[in-house]
Amino acid sequence: MSSPATGSLWGNVAGSTGAAFLGLAETVGGMGVLFGRILSRLFSFPPRLDYPELMRNLHKMAVKSLPIVVVTALFTGAIMVIQAAPIVKRVGAEGLLGWGAGFGTLREVAPLLTALMISGRVGANNTAELGTMVVTEQLDALRALAIDPIAFLIVPRFIAILTTLFVMTLYADALALFGAAYTGEGLLQVDSRTFYNGLTGGQLYFSDVAGGLVKSLVFGLVIALASCHFGLATKGGAPGVGRAVNATVVASAAGVFVLDYLVSFLLA
Amino acid sequence: MSAEEGHSPHEMGLSPPAPPGAVHDLGAAAIDLFLGARELYSVFVRTLYYVVRGKRDKGAVVQQMFLIGNKSLFFVTITMGFIGMILLYQSGLQAKRVVPDFSMLGATYLELLVRDLAASLGALMLATRVGAGIAAEIGSMVVTEQVDALRMCSADPIDFLLVPRFLASMVMTTVLIVWAGVVAFAAGAATALVAFDVPLRTFCSMQLIDWGDLSTGLAKCVAYGAAIPIVSGYCGLSTFGGSEGVGWATTRAVVNSSLAIIVLNAIISTASLMIFGAK
Repeated sequence: MSSPATGSLWGNVAGSTGAAFLGLAETVGGMGVLFGRILSRLFSFPPRLDYPELMRNLHKMAVKSLPIVVVTALFTGAIMVIQAAPIVKRVGAEGLLGWGAGFGTLREVAPLLTALMISGRVGANNTAELGTMVVTEQLDALRALAIDPIAFLIVPRFIAILTTLFVMTLYADALALFGAAYTGEGLLQVDSRTFYNGLTGGQLYFSDVAGGLVKSLVFGLVIALASCHFGLATKGGAPGVGRAVNATVVASAAGVFVLDYLVSFLLA
Repeated sequence: MSAEEGHSPHEMGLSPPAPPGAVHDLGAAAIDLFLGARELYSVFVRTLYYVVRGKRDKGAVVQQMFLIGNKSLFFVTITMGFIGMILLYQSGLQAKRVVPDFSMLGATYLELLVRDLAASLGALMLATRVGAGIAAEIGSMVVTEQVDALRMCSADPIDFLLVPRFLASMVMTTVLIVWAGVVAFAAGAATALVAFDVPLRTFCSMQLIDWGDLSTGLAKCVAYGAAIPIVSGYCGLSTFGGSEGVGWATTRAVVNSSLAIIVLNAIISTASLMIFGAK
């Protein structure tokens, strides 16, 4: 940004603030336009997308992420119990441990941590792949063959990321509760039966689980749009791919937290 | 992946069809994990060695501190502000269902922040931002053979590249996590005031904080600050295969440093529970 007032401090501050806001608006706008394009392909009849590409991406994104999600969820459950332990002991209500750990895990922690891990693994990788295709002009080649790159590359990835997040959050919910139950038994001598009773004892509603799953879909939307947008907007050769990956990771993390806040308020 | 595929016809030729099934995959994964862990350990030990014995570029550490610390400040502030609001809102809803009494909300929240959440969530954010940056930078140096050039000049890349990042990250992670805790607490206090009508004076209570909480939190800061540059530096240094490889290295750096943080969190939390006990 060539600001005319390069001498003065306030001119610089105003200039860089304005540039930051313009950049933000450009990113959000780009993601919105991309979302519109994806929807136009999805809701045409028949939906225009490449099924083999969808299957390939589902395998690469969901099946291959399973180990990370398993490890993350088990440890997260353990941490939730360890952190809830002093509070539960203070109140002297060990029957509440299951509820206490379950509430936080199902509503907040499992969707959030799954989204962070998936955004690191899948989102970053997706941007790197698309960015490499862009800088090696493979997208132009697709266009030259009259193949729509959005329908061929982006729509399958979009659906795959959304599905991945949803399914992985289901897994993470179950595994985190499993890890929490057995940490409680091993570390605090709270019988796992007590834990499951606390979980199903009536203080925890289906809406708590559903809220977490709705969140996971919203996170999937952000991660998919951010990674596809930054991948497609890559320019400047190989270093540009690195920059795009970095931008995706940062934008997905920030977007996930901001939307988490909004969704938490809307669902409450 | 491609190496595995390259092996299988060879194996098929040697013996009556040995199906490359689950055992094969599990073994390959275990060997990969073992080799990776050994390599990571070697990077860690060499970093520690050069911290003590290395010859350091003047200003390199300060420059890295600027890149790691100051450049992450905005990102950490925004994310931790939002996270503070969410956390307090969720725990307020949770408290409402059992005891409709918010007098201990602030004290409990502060205790959780000091002991765990500020450090772990802040470090997850830093792992994303800083880890990706370190891996992308070192990774592109590897694929453009600048690291080989360093070795030819008999400068160990670990001493020259990783040690300044290691020292800078140890300091700046601690500083940023303290700041993250402050931001999250302030955001929580504002949410409590608006959403649950908890007065600020009641909310800002330090009665539950003790030395155990503080030392657990600080131990986590130091452990995460050391883990992020080591893990992402290792991922960056093991980059191969051109510009696509840099993308892969960045991905692995973010995932592995986040995993390292979660595992370290479980270990340190368990240790602290055993040392200080559940009050």
